[in-house]
Amino acid sequence: MREIVATVLENKRIAENVYSLTFATEGEVKVRPGQFCMLGVRGFPLRRPFAVCKAENDRITVGYQIKGRGTKTLSAYQAGDKLSALLPLGNGFYVSEKEKKIAIVGGGAGIFPLISVIRAYAESKEIHSYMGFRNKAAVCMQYEMQRGELTIATDDGSLGYRGTAVQAFMEDIGALRPDVILSCGPTPMLRALKKAVEGRNIPTYVSLEERMGCGVGACLVCVCEKSDGSRARVCRDGPVFDINDVEL
Amino acid sequence: MVDLSVKICGKELKNPVIPASGTFGFGREFDEIYDISVLGGVATKGLTLLPRLGNPVPRIAESSGVILNAVGLQNPGVEHFIEEDLGWLRSKTKVFANVAGSTLADYAEICKKLNDIVDFIELNISCPNVRQGGMAFGVRPESVEEVTRAAKENCPSTPLIVKLSPNVESIAENARAAERGGADGISLVNTFTGMVIDIERRRPVLANNTGGVSGAGIKPIAVRMVYEAARAVSIPVIGMGGIACAEDAVEFLMAGATAVEVGTQNFTDALACPKIIQGLEEWCGRHGVSRVSDLIGTVKMH
Repeated sequence: MREIVATVLENKRIAENVYSLTFATEGEVKVRPGQFCMLGVRGFPLRRPFAVCKAENDRITVGYQIKGRGTKTLSAYQAGDKLSALLPLGNGFYVSEKEKKIAIVGGGAGIFPLISVIRAYAESKEIHSYMGFRNKAAVCMQYEMQRGELTIATDDGSLGYRGTAVQAFMEDIGALRPDVILSCGPTPMLRALKKAVEGRNIPTYVSLEERMGCGVGACLVCVCEKSDGSRARVCRDGPVFDINDVEL
Repeated sequence: MVDLSVKICGKELKNPVIPASGTFGFGREFDEIYDISVLGGVATKGLTLLPRLGNPVPRIAESSGVILNAVGLQNPGVEHFIEEDLGWLRSKTKVFANVAGSTLADYAEICKKLNDIVDFIELNISCPNVRQGGMAFGVRPESVEEVTRAAKENCPSTPLIVKLSPNVESIAENARAAERGGADGISLVNTFTGMVIDIERRRPVLANNTGGVSGAGIKPIAVRMVYEAARAVSIPVIGMGGIACAEDAVEFLMAGATAVEVGTQNFTDALACPKIIQGLEEWCGRHGVSRVSDLIGTVKMH
């Protein structure tokens, strides 16, 4: 966990309202798949959490969707601009030695932390991804996703499967028999996944999103409700949780 | 060499910079980023008698130059803090145990438990985010005095710092009320009650509807209130409200604060506190100030 001043190397539009930002850190930062960083945008007191897609030596790439003024301002950053960064944060996705076949279910901006998983395990595991988008124009980072088996789903059928990523996945799950399911996306998608895989006894992990303050677990702003009634910090105890341990 | 140490209620802090309650937990997370023993002290997350789950999310929002929070005093309870965190935190730096309650008896009970085992008790009578979060005690001077007295009777050997709400008619009046009640010091300002509306959804951003406003945007108001409060009492004052750099801290010292707390800026920059400490030393050095305590209350009014 380090506080650094990062230098923007590239900040490019990769789909409608979606950008990919690559920055250089001071020295190498080890990031596990599913971990995130907090990035400061000039003029905004709160930093924003961004899932890391790619971490190579001292280069980190995050993907983001323009959601408000902060991300809008960030989208105008150019190579050479500086931004404050705190990283790496959170627990990340953990895949055990014996889990050989990974199913990945992602939707919208939720694909970004999953890309880091695909990149990390593309060589050593069998990966089947089901990634959902609104339409063809919203599809991005296809090259990265294609490091494993990929099914793209679009709501309007303009590319790939017509329907949601969860629907596409559930058509294959019987034949596929994955050892583990990793997911990230809008809450309704995660809820649908939880219901769909209930009783199948396949370990399923989800990465959650919440508005954050400190990003390190101190301020208790980004809590989620656990199934046992307690509260967990998304930034510190997560963002990745066993799907059965959290209320969605 | 600049002497950064300050004395509050007879106790020496190695420098006047303290992370503010609620932004720093019990210090463990930030200690993974830097050694928190560099700090003058740490104001802990607000402690209640029993554990609290806090408010629903979203608990945080942003507006120009400020943030709003409505965490709702989520904490593991005072006993848990004493058993799990206090020893460790005290080995690092001075502990300002922030205490919240919903009844006079709560405040009395928690203070009794903390008496003599923490360096300072910071009495939170101004949490705006919980119906029974002490705010009821923080508004009227009579109740400020009453809750201060109830607390002080139960922590005779630990300095009691009463944290004042800015959402009041007269800050000077409430500062004097705390002093009459037996406070050994006061700290201010807690957050201002505010609201941000998501105009697309026509609903407040915060699940609690309102929240406490903090950050750089409140600083001039906080400086004015610290000045007014410091003039009204003879006990030490800890100033806070939007401090983001060493120069901001100097303003609060000149306004009459003996030490300062830094809150929101810990979110903007995790190294905010150590940077402010270093910046204070540099500022004093550049201005020929040999002791930071020489700055306290030195503002000259027009």
